[in-house]
Amino acid sequence: MKIFILFIFLSLSVNLFGQSDSVKTSVVKGTVKNSKGKLVEGANVVIEGTIDGSTTDEKGFYEFETSKTGKRVIIFTAVDFGEKKINADIEPGSTLILDVTLSNTEFKTDEITVTASSFTSGENSKVTLSPLEITRIPGADADLYRAITTFPGSNQVDEGSRIAVRGGDPSEVLTFLDGASLYNPFLFGDDYNTSSYSTVNPWGMKGINFSSGGFSAKYGNVLSAVLDLQSYDLPQGRGMFAILGLANVGLSGVYRTNDGKFGATFSAGQFFIKPFLEVNKDNTDFSPIPTASNIGGTLVYKTSRTGLLKYYLNYSYDNMGIRNESPTYSGYYLGRTKNFFTNLKYSFAPTDISLLSTSVSLSTNNRTDKYGVLNTVSNSLYGKVRTDFGTPVSEKIDLSTGIEYEYNDAKENGKAPVYFYNMREEAPYFNLDFLQKTGRAGAYAELKYRLSDNFLIQGGVRSDYYTLTKDAVVDPRLSVVFRFTQHSFLKAATGIYHQFPALLYFLQGNTTSLKPEQAIHYILGYEYNRDNDFILRLETFYKDYSKLVSNSYNYYNYTSDGKGVAKGVDAFLKIRIKPKFNGWISYSYVDSKRTPYDGANTVSADFDITHTLSVVSEYNISDYFTVGATYKLSTGKPYTPVIGSIFDAAQNAYIPIYAERNSGRFPTYTRIDLNAQYIFALFGRFAVAFLALNNIMNTSNLYEYSYNFDYTQKKTINSSNFRTIYFGIGLQL
Amino acid sequence: MKNTLKTFLIAALLFVVSSECLRADDFTDAIMKAKKNLFAAMTINDEKGIVKSRGEFERILQLKKQEWIVNYYLAFIDYSIGSSAMSDPSNKDKVKKYTESALSLIDKSILVRDDFADAYILRYALQFNRWAYEQDKMADIIAASEEARNKAEKLEPDNPRLYLMDGVSTYYTPEMFGGGAKKAVPMLEKSLDLFGKRVEKEAYYPDWGKEMCYGFLTLAYLKRDDDGDKKLSSDLYTKATAEFPSSSFLSGYIKKEMEKLK
Repeated sequence: MKIFILFIFLSLSVNLFGQSDSVKTSVVKGTVKNSKGKLVEGANVVIEGTIDGSTTDEKGFYEFETSKTGKRVIIFTAVDFGEKKINADIEPGSTLILDVTLSNTEFKTDEITVTASSFTSGENSKVTLSPLEITRIPGADADLYRAITTFPGSNQVDEGSRIAVRGGDPSEVLTFLDGASLYNPFLFGDDYNTSSYSTVNPWGMKGINFSSGGFSAKYGNVLSAVLDLQSYDLPQGRGMFAILGLANVGLSGVYRTNDGKFGATFSAGQFFIKPFLEVNKDNTDFSPIPTASNIGGTLVYKTSRTGLLKYYLNYSYDNMGIRNESPTYSGYYLGRTKNFFTNLKYSFAPTDISLLSTSVSLSTNNRTDKYGVLNTVSNSLYGKVRTDFGTPVSEKIDLSTGIEYEYNDAKENGKAPVYFYNMREEAPYFNLDFLQKTGRAGAYAELKYRLSDNFLIQGGVRSDYYTLTKDAVVDPRLSVVFRFTQHSFLKAATGIYHQFPALLYFLQGNTTSLKPEQAIHYILGYEYNRDNDFILRLETFYKDYSKLVSNSYNYYNYTSDGKGVAKGVDAFLKIRIKPKFNGWISYSYVDSKRTPYDGANTVSADFDITHTLSVVSEYNISDYFTVGATYKLSTGKPYTPVIGSIFDAAQNAYIPIYAERNSGRFPTYTRIDLNAQYIFALFGRFAVAFLALNNIMNTSNLYEYSYNFDYTQKKTINSSNFRTIYFGIGLQL
Repeated sequence: MKNTLKTFLIAALLFVVSSECLRADDFTDAIMKAKKNLFAAMTINDEKGIVKSRGEFERILQLKKQEWIVNYYLAFIDYSIGSSAMSDPSNKDKVKKYTESALSLIDKSILVRDDFADAYILRYALQFNRWAYEQDKMADIIAASEEARNKAEKLEPDNPRLYLMDGVSTYYTPEMFGGGAKKAVPMLEKSLDLFGKRVEKEAYYPDWGKEMCYGFLTLAYLKRDDDGDKKLSSDLYTKATAEFPSSSFLSGYIKKEMEKLK
């Protein structure tokens, strides 16, 4: 009885206490807006720890009565906005007015995502290049890098996957993957008259950003362009997909545990072109016929609510031989490459609004070249540790900062000809046994300042120190974007960029006096982008090069005295008419000049391709049947003609005499590619059949000029990319 | 003194237990009320009402009780809003916004309770919405659908909403990909049969789907068009409207589709 009375007392006292909290009800009301001042409908308002609250109406207005008074926390949430908590003192019987502004979080469709000279694809961006588009671009052969060359400012090197950007060399383009530098992501990357293929699977990437200039301070040791890739984190489900094509087979898969904490992906491919050569009656003299393998994957583990540990691995191998007739030697050029890349990345959010990530990567590249007297094995190793941190420092300012250290060594062993013009097997040679190493320590800090919803400034600075030459560089960078109508943007960017010369130059030149190469970018552009259905871009750029490595033709002499300028205009028009048509036209004008080794008159740079035009179109005949066509036209690239020769009796060979460097030009390059894809069911499974008709007009594009033994007759060596048919099938397993 | 202390402690314990019971009742009352408001709004296709009831569920989260079921309902609401937006291709952003939100919420629900079949059925259904905005991830979508479906079937092979989702997706899948009305009919029939026997374990558990099942089976009969299918369809529609007289789904969408098929 006593207990019961006490219980009643306790309950009453609590009720009374509770009631003392709510002698009079209070009213809380106000409006909820987004950062642009637009009213937010459907936002939820609630007093923390209670169910007292309301939902905003179409005018962003809310109102509710509550008996909960005193110091309270009021929480505001809405589907695509971050949570906002406000401390409030609710006085009994009073009306509290709280007007609140919520900030967007994940879905940033209204934010400025445009930056100068970049083409972006990603989950939260206005997509300009999706994996599906990549696979559908005729002539791109489902290759990310080749797809990029249909955008302005970039050119294919030897009709393969390597890219030259805005008149610069291919070595001035760097790929980043999850923060790591990805070197040599190509099959047949350095082989004679054989187009390269990328080892990056576009379907494995959640974000693709290609910038042809004016890029952020987070990217170091790169002179011209950056391809920044982010691989998927946890896959969504489980499944496998197989591809069987005329020149390759492939298998890929994804796996995720039921609790969503662990995931894995893999992809493996084997490239074997014998059936392809036979079907296409290709009589290119290969020995051995090109073969390549590629295997890779990711392991992902979710360590906590925000923590993610991701391991990425890729290995590729290629091997081929192709006949090459030089003035002194006729035989097979043999090339073999083994490439390994691995990256371990850990990221987590130290606070609700910040992100910290650290990655450790290692890559090795082993390359064998044999041709006549030449017989070399080159090994390079890159190791990199990098940490990045990003956080908003105020509602309008975001800070990103990071540090990195990269180690690189290069070894070269074997035999190399003493006289480049004598490649005979018995020709005099050097014995190579070189090793060179260097390190680079870098750091950057960058602020992104949203002056208003329509004006964004991004400014940063990075510094790098190169241990081999003990050079330190400081690179300030700045970009601004101004949105003057809902879909129109003005963009400008400038900055200083440095890149350390390849270690090969130090080895071959037996020098340590080369300096980091430098480029200053200036970019001004306009973009009109209507929900990615209509995009018009016009950009003009100017690149001022200095301290470029230049070398003499005949000997292994290198200096850092090279200078140059690249200037031009890019234009891009993309039209998508849902659901039937998607296409774009891109045009680039480039004028790229450099000083040669001897410092004489400025001449055309190696990739001074004055005019480049690409027209890409895809048409969906039905939901299951897509056809496409690509047309490419460009000015022939420069080359250095041989204008005579001198007989070297000791070598029993002729020494070529060259005209002014890059004073000749290849004929105009042109090519038309077609493709078709058909989606259907096979064994109750999703399947896709694809057909590619490359170089349908069978245009003979020039690969290089060669000469007879005394250089009196010029021979044209055409590209091995003549008209071909390729078909295959993909099947979900 | 010792007895007084003992008495006080027992009373305090009783108080704590009774308070928790009261809190549990607060939760049940609140979720039942929110559920009622939600389905009332859904019946008349009142998106503003649906959004309002979303707020009610969000506020229930503050009670910190059975958050998994509250998150389930929030995910279900976002799924419904996203699905409604799919009829207009210009609403791609809206479909994405609500589908992604629903996927995140259903994952939160599964993280707390991983043996609730309806959560996986909703995850399975959400994969269809992803087609509207990320066809690029075709293999991923297919794999995620299969994974969620298999998990749901393993947990509760007699859940009618599982076969409802099978039936609806099969109905919309072209025949060449193994879909079509003919194949959808037995799935929807099985679903309807299971709805007839279904008793939910708790009053606040999800019980949606029967009206949808009636509607799609009506259409599937009509589209299959075997002997007697027209009558089956018409009879079923009559039965459905008698059971759900104020359903705007039946009187609006299904009726319109029936007219098209006739």
